[in-house]
Order: sequence, then structure tokens, then C-alpha cells
Amino acid sequence: MINLTIDGRAIQAEPGKTILEVARENGIYIPFLCYHPALKPIGSCRICVVEVKPGPPRPLPACATYVAEGQEVVTTSERLTAIRQELMKLVLINHALECPICDKGGECELQDLTHALGVPEVDLTAIPATSPPDYESLLVERHTDRCVTCGRCVRLCRDHVGAMAINFMQRGYFTELGSGLLPLDCEFCGSCIDICPVGALINKQFKYRARAWEVTKTEMVCPFCGGGCSYELHLKDGEIMRVYNGETALLCGRGRFGWPVITSPERLRTPLVRVNGELQEATWEEALAAAAGGLKAVLEEAGPGALYGVGSPRATNEANYLFQKFFRAGLGTNNLDNPGRLHYVKALSALGQVFGWPEVKEADGPHPKPPAYTSPFSVKEETKGSGFTFVLGSLEELPRADAALILGADLTPELPPLGWGVNAARQKDDFQLVVANPRGTKFDRWATVSLRYKPGAERLVVAGLMKALLTAHPDLTPAIPAQGLDDLKESLKKFSLKEYASRAGVEAADLEAAAAILAKAQAPAILFGTELLNQDKGEMNALALADLFLLVGKPGTPGSALYPVAEKANTRGVCELGVLPDRLPGLLPLDSPAAPAFWGEHKPVQTPGPTLLEVLDKLEQDEADAPRALWLLGGDLLRWLPNRSRTEKLLSKVKFMVVQDAFLTDTAKLADVVLPVAIHAEQEGSFISSTGQLGVLKAALGTDGVLPDWQIICRLASALGVPLSYRTPAQIFAEFARQIPLFAGLAPRKVVGRTGIPAELKGTFVLFDLDISLPGRRPFTLIIGKVLQHSGSFTTHEPCGTLVVTPEAAVSLNPEDAAQLELKAGDKARVISSHGEVEAKVALDPLLPAGVAFLPEHFAQPAAQMLTLNSNLVRVSIQKA
Amino acid sequence: MILPLIKGLATTLRYCFSKPITLQYPEEKRTPYPRFRGHPELVINEDGSRRCVACTLCMVVCPSNAIRGIVPAEGPHHEKYPVQFTIDLTRCIFCGFCQEACPKAAIKLNNLYELAQYDKEVLILDIERATQKKPEMRAPDWL
Repeated sequence: MINLTIDGRAIQAEPGKTILEVARENGIYIPFLCYHPALKPIGSCRICVVEVKPGPPRPLPACATYVAEGQEVVTTSERLTAIRQELMKLVLINHALECPICDKGGECELQDLTHALGVPEVDLTAIPATSPPDYESLLVERHTDRCVTCGRCVRLCRDHVGAMAINFMQRGYFTELGSGLLPLDCEFCGSCIDICPVGALINKQFKYRARAWEVTKTEMVCPFCGGGCSYELHLKDGEIMRVYNGETALLCGRGRFGWPVITSPERLRTPLVRVNGELQEATWEEALAAAAGGLKAVLEEAGPGALYGVGSPRATNEANYLFQKFFRAGLGTNNLDNPGRLHYVKALSALGQVFGWPEVKEADGPHPKPPAYTSPFSVKEETKGSGFTFVLGSLEELPRADAALILGADLTPELPPLGWGVNAARQKDDFQLVVANPRGTKFDRWATVSLRYKPGAERLVVAGLMKALLTAHPDLTPAIPAQGLDDLKESLKKFSLKEYASRAGVEAADLEAAAAILAKAQAPAILFGTELLNQDKGEMNALALADLFLLVGKPGTPGSALYPVAEKANTRGVCELGVLPDRLPGLLPLDSPAAPAFWGEHKPVQTPGPTLLEVLDKLEQDEADAPRALWLLGGDLLRWLPNRSRTEKLLSKVKFMVVQDAFLTDTAKLADVVLPVAIHAEQEGSFISSTGQLGVLKAALGTDGVLPDWQIICRLASALGVPLSYRTPAQIFAEFARQIPLFAGLAPRKVVGRTGIPAELKGTFVLFDLDISLPGRRPFTLIIGKVLQHSGSFTTHEPCGTLVVTPEAAVSLNPEDAAQLELKAGDKARVISSHGEVEAKVALDPLLPAGVAFLPEHFAQPAAQMLTLNSNLVRVSIQKA
Repeated sequence: MILPLIKGLATTLRYCFSKPITLQYPEEKRTPYPRFRGHPELVINEDGSRRCVACTLCMVVCPSNAIRGIVPAEGPHHEKYPVQFTIDLTRCIFCGFCQEACPKAAIKLNNLYELAQYDKEVLILDIERATQKKPEMRAPDWL
């Protein structure tokens, strides 16, 4: 620690901090303008100048001067006030005095500074700035005449978002912010709005709707992707005005602009019941009675095994816990699964094989009456953790990685916070990035090595990397005790490095260079996404990556971790809460000694139930134990399961189907009872993000006829003779947290397994197959994946803000391929696979290699899953429509 | 002894022939002084448009919550203007803070002072009724 005095106060500070940071921590006010806690200081506005002794005779900027032993800092003096006032006058000289109509009025840092510094009047004149405001850009409005050229937006956009969409134009007095005299063409994340100290960047959704002081603020977790960002929801008169993040300013477009989807006229507001083959509106009592009646008939006729439940990655932990409780403690079956089966569960399964399933022993507790959404267990000295949870990374530590491998993920569209994490990591000079993807992505431009492999060849790339690693470092030993390395080496002998490279479509030298980066790294992180997990051999892909991490990873070093993408807000939570046929809440095995707690009066069933995919097979073969009734807790199976026409046929075989959803999805249209649910800020509950962070949703809005999932489950279960009764979601959380020692130390914004639990890790190299053939002879490989502005189908309903940026799905083609097919951007094309065909608009994307096409999966039309068989990769032919 | 009596009668006689002080209200109405603070109203420009930009500062400063329900809207040239604006004269205490706070000189206390009504609703002014009819100044120190 360093001792210094600020304004005569003796203060201890950590070395490496700036005077401004230390002063803020100690509640000493130093005015500033260009500084922001989320950004690197540049010391350009000079408002934060302080006198420092010993030091030069001139004042120094507090934001860019580091504390030193014995320093004496003076933050206010006549000289400093005079300097600051003079600087403020220069800032104000041209500032448009539009405070009455500026949306920043009331929360404007320039207003606050003018008050704080007591600037009496601006006695300077200058040529007025002339550049007109930019009203053209989507979602964001720019007023250059209000800009104070602090450069915060420029730095945030360049260093953290990585879009580099705004920059300074002109020089000196005429400096203004701009994007090359054109409207913005960027990621439309709107982070620049929240970091702007003045009203130069304005949120179009918020424009003129409320003044800053009129809003009530609710802090909650973002309910879109699995990023788990926290933001403030600003409401006026019970209506959402905007989404705001003053802390780090970073949010993606769907988080910031996606909220209008909850006001969508397409939302279901009343329950629907099928009467004479038609879905008709009904009251809650009628609908719940119809659902209970239908399910009861099936249960009485064919036993509890006849009902199959599908949990939801959009529902809260509490709802999902109750859902599995109904099946286990109520019916005594393991007949449930969640849609993460198609991607995230494959990663969990692979990680479980390599690192073991998570377990926490000797946690202290349960303590009585913990605060809401806090685990009753705490970590004590003897507490020991093991299993894969402890190799999964948190967002906070990602910037500390010194090398990262991004494989099979267009990172920013899949999970924007991971993209920001990598961007933060690359601010370090020694950071090296390896990007491997069949398509070009944003991160290629910062990659030390870029591998453009053939779609589906992930395992060959990983095997090639391991081969190159083990060739260069034959005595490489994993950082944690590991078994099976010899078997792995043996299996890698199947091909030479050159063969791996040529089969994967990459250069052997690139593989060697990437392997060298990973071998040298002290804290390598591996990030992978649903693009590779969604394949039929997704689990093999995840196994390969887990093996690679076991080989090069340094578990325990901050930043060195695995980052699988859990796509939706609670994809990880739905798994952690045991909505799986073979795992109990807390990912406990079915034969765990703690199991009876989850089974109520029933005897624990140790045989796993069928998975979602096995259920479909059972339905197809009309097996005797195929489920006759389905209870879907949300999730449009038709849209997400591959081979849509098959799914459609099989779902129609189900006798009775209850769907809880916010929208009348294609799957809901097949249901016998549809129960509308509360979403977003209409309900309370918790989510576990992709990186394990616990986020809490707050009920800030009225429900307008719909009910939260947990209440529906309670009422329906009670009607089925399984009494479930809770007052609040917090009570449900308290119930399951008492049974899950893995959550020891967990609280809002804390990360599962990263609560100070010492981990004892060991691993086993598990062999994976190297067969990558993609069936079919059609000329194009179509990748079905995600685009930046959408999260599942949630954001595809009007009036979601991001629809103005990406209103529809288009099939992206390499321009040369398109030219050969005589297709131009905007033309209609028919995309035909062996399983179906769709019609889609064409978009040209030079980042796609020849022979590869891309189609987003979010939209109802074109229904991407019409084309697929069992994977997100499919061979197609494309013609002009 | 007689002198004071005559003095007193003289005063009485003088007032007998001077203009009476009592006004025959409501037939006769008093003209307020120039700086009299009457009902708040929304000021219009020469072209009839309101000056108000719906910044809501008057609403914030109003100590008796007489101003409420200001709903802003965006015009074709990105101007901000109110589409709803309620002045509740039953709550107004005629302090003039709104006039003082207004950055656009768009709200002004006029010289009207009558508040007696059979129906209270009449005293709750919507945006149309709160807006002055003519852009003329009602008092010399209008701005």
C-alpha cells in the first residue's frame, strides 16, 4: 500500500491506481469530463487537474497521474478553480444551449460541472459550429453541436465494442464527432449513448418521452441472451421509457432497444383452449381446468410416465425448479428435458466426461434466513469443489486472459458480453488471439492467427492443434492431474499434421502458429459457441475442446477458462436446476445421496428419462412408452428442432399438449391449451448467465392478464393433485438453494463456483471421433446460426427496436457465388436441401468463403429448420426464385 | 369647538363629490396592477404556435402541484412541443415560480383573478384552455 495525502487527509491506496480513482474511492470530489470509470484515461479535458507535490510546478491531470508514496495532492485552490473555470468556458463556448429539449437535461455531466465549478458566464465568443444534427441514423441520434469532444464514445466503440463506428473529424476548434458524413452503420448497440456525458448522442426510443428526473429506476438482469448483463429499466407512469447502463455503458442492441417487444400486439393476453379443433379464448380458470383435465385423463390412462415435460431457457430458475419438482416429487418420473439439449447440454455432457460433474463438499451451512436470492451456504476453509464448473470462466476474469481461442462462434452475435471481454483482454499488449471459424467474423481483424476451416471440421482443427502442440512440446503435461494423455496421443496419430490441415481446409503452418500461441500462454481462454454445438456431433466438438483445454489450460489462473455459449437468458440455469432427464438440481447425479430431497414422497428413480431427441424417436416408432402428453414451458420446438416437417408430424401424434408461452408460436398453435406467461420485467425471478452469474429480474411492470410461469406451474400442479404453493419466487429460490451446495456463496451478481471455493481439479482425456463427413452432394454448405440483432425468436416481434436494423432473415452468400448464380442482393432465392426448401432474400457477404451460405434461425419465415436433418449444417442448392 | 366639526364635515362633503372607491363588482371590474400575478397561461408566438417545449421545469418547480400531465411530442422538424398540459387553477397559489423557471418564457401569469365557479372542472385547464388567445402582452413587463 502507498501512503499519500489528498487535501491534507492521510490516505492509503493500492499502487497502480490513479489519483482520481483513489479520490473517488475516498469520497473526495475531483471534477472531470473526459474520464469514465469503464475507459482508459486519456487526460484530454484537463478539468481534473490537481496540484501534486513532489511534482512539476504545473498542475497534473488526476485521471492520468498515478499515486506515489509520500505524495501531497491538493484538489481545490484558487489557481485550480481558475484553470477549471477557464477550461469550462472553452467547452461551453459553442455548446448548444438546448437544455430544455435535450434529453440529457437533468442528468448531464456538463450541467453538473457548470454548477459545481460555478462558471458565472461565458465571456468568450467564437465562430458558431455549423454541422447539422444526424437524424438519419437508426436508433441513435447525433447532435454534434452539443458534443464536448471528450472522446468517450470513440474510445468505447473502438476499444470495448470493437465496432469503430464513430470517430473524430476535423481538427482543433472544429473537431466534431462523426462517421464519415454518413449515417451510422454499426452494431447499433447504443453504448455510446450511455457513455456520452452530454446529449450529443441520444436514444431515439427515449427521445422527448420523459425527463431524466421523472423516471423510476429498477435494476435488473437483461432477459435476452445468456450474457447476464445488468441494467436499469427506467419507467414513467408504469411504462418503460428506456434501458440504461450507467455503470459500464456496455449493452448490446437487443438488450438496449429490444424491450418494446413486451408491448407487442402479438403477445398472448388470455389463455387459449382448443374447442372443436379451434383455439378459443378462455378465462384462466377454464384454461387451467382444461389443461388439468386433459393431463389427468392421460395420466390416469397411461400412468405418470405418459407425460413429458420440456423446460424453458427463457423461464426463471424458480419456474424451472418447480417444473422439475412437479415431475420428480409429484409424478415420480425423470421425463423431462430442456431445449438446451440441442447445444448447451452437449457441452455440459462433454465437460462432465473430461473434468467430472461439479460437486462441492463441506460447504458451511445451510444458515437460516439468508437474504433474498442468496445461497444459505457459505464457503469455509474445508470447502472443496471439483468438476467442470470450476473450469468455466466468469466474465470478470476474461480480460485477464493472455491468449484466447475462439472456435466455431461468431462471438458478438452469440453472446455480446464475451465479445466485450475479449476486446478488453486485447487492450493488453501481450494478448494473442486465435480465431477459427468457417465464416469471417469481426474478431478476425485482431487475430494473430485466423483459421478459416471447412464447415463442420472443428474436431480436425482441434486435433490438428493438439497434434502440433504435442509435436512441438512432446513432454507437455497438463496443469492439473490428467489421465489418458497417451491414448489421446495415440489417437492423434491417425493423421499427420498436414493431413489434419488439408482435411480441415487450413494451412498446417497456421495450425502450428496457433498451437505455439496456446502453448506459450500463461492464461489461455477457449471460447466456443452454439455454431459448433448445434451440429449432430456437437458433443464430440465440445469433447475435443475440453481435451484441448485440459492439455493447455491453466485452471486456477484468472482468465484461463472455458467459455461455452449458453444462448438464452437462462440456458445455463435450466440445466443447473435439473430440468434434465439424467441430472437433479445442482447437476447432481440421479444416484446422489442427496437425491431423496428432490423426490418428496417418491422413491428416487435412478434410471434417466428419455432425452428430448429420444422422445421424438419414440414417437416416430410409436413405441409403447412414447409420451402421450407434453407440457412445454415455452420454447418453440418447431422452430428450434432440426427437420421441422418431421417434428411437426411427431408433435401431432401427441394426444394432449399444454404450452406456456408469451406468443402464439407455431408449436403453441398445435397445443390443446396455451397459457400466456409474463416476460421481461413483468415477473420476478433469477437467471444464471452463460458465465454463471446470478441475475435477478424484478417485477416492475403490471402483468396485464398474464401470469408468471411459477404461478401457472403451482396452479396447474395443484389441480393435478400435486400441491405446490409459494408466495414469492424468492421463497422458491430459498428452497432449492438449501439443497444445492454447488451454489455456496452465490448471491446476485456473483458467479456459480467463483465464490472463493478452492477447487480440486482433475481430468481425463476422452477420445473423440474425427469423422466429419456432411451427407449430401448439393453444392453449398448452409450454416444456420445467429445474427447480432436477435435473440432466439423473442426479438422478432414488432415493435422490437432491433427490427429496424435487421427486419428479416436473408440467406448470405459470397459475392462470387452469388454472381455465378446470377443473384443480386435483395433477390429472392430458393434454398433447397434433401429435406425441404425455403425461399429467402439474398444478402452478399464477402466474409463468407465460396461454397458456404448462412441463414439466420430467428425468424418464422424463412423457416430455417425446414432444411435441416439433425444439425445446423446442411448441404443445399440455391437457385433464383 | 365648532372648528373641528366643520373640518370633519368638509371632508365628508369632499368625498360626496369625488369618484367613489367602491367598485360595483361584478358589473365593474378592477384593472390589476401591471405586476399582478393572476392565472398561469401558455404564451403563443405571433404565428399562433405555443412557445412551450415541454421541458417540464414549471411542473418541477410548482410548489402546489398545479401543473401536471405534460405530454411531449416530436414535430416534423424535430421540435419538441406539448400535446397535453394541465393547469389546475384550484391548486394554483399564483406564486409565479413557473414563470420564473420557464427557459422559453412560455408560461406567464396573466391579469385574470376570478376563480368562482359552480363546477370545479372548469378551473382545471387543458392545453387548449390554458393557452392564451392572442399573443398580446397583458402587462407592460410581459417578458
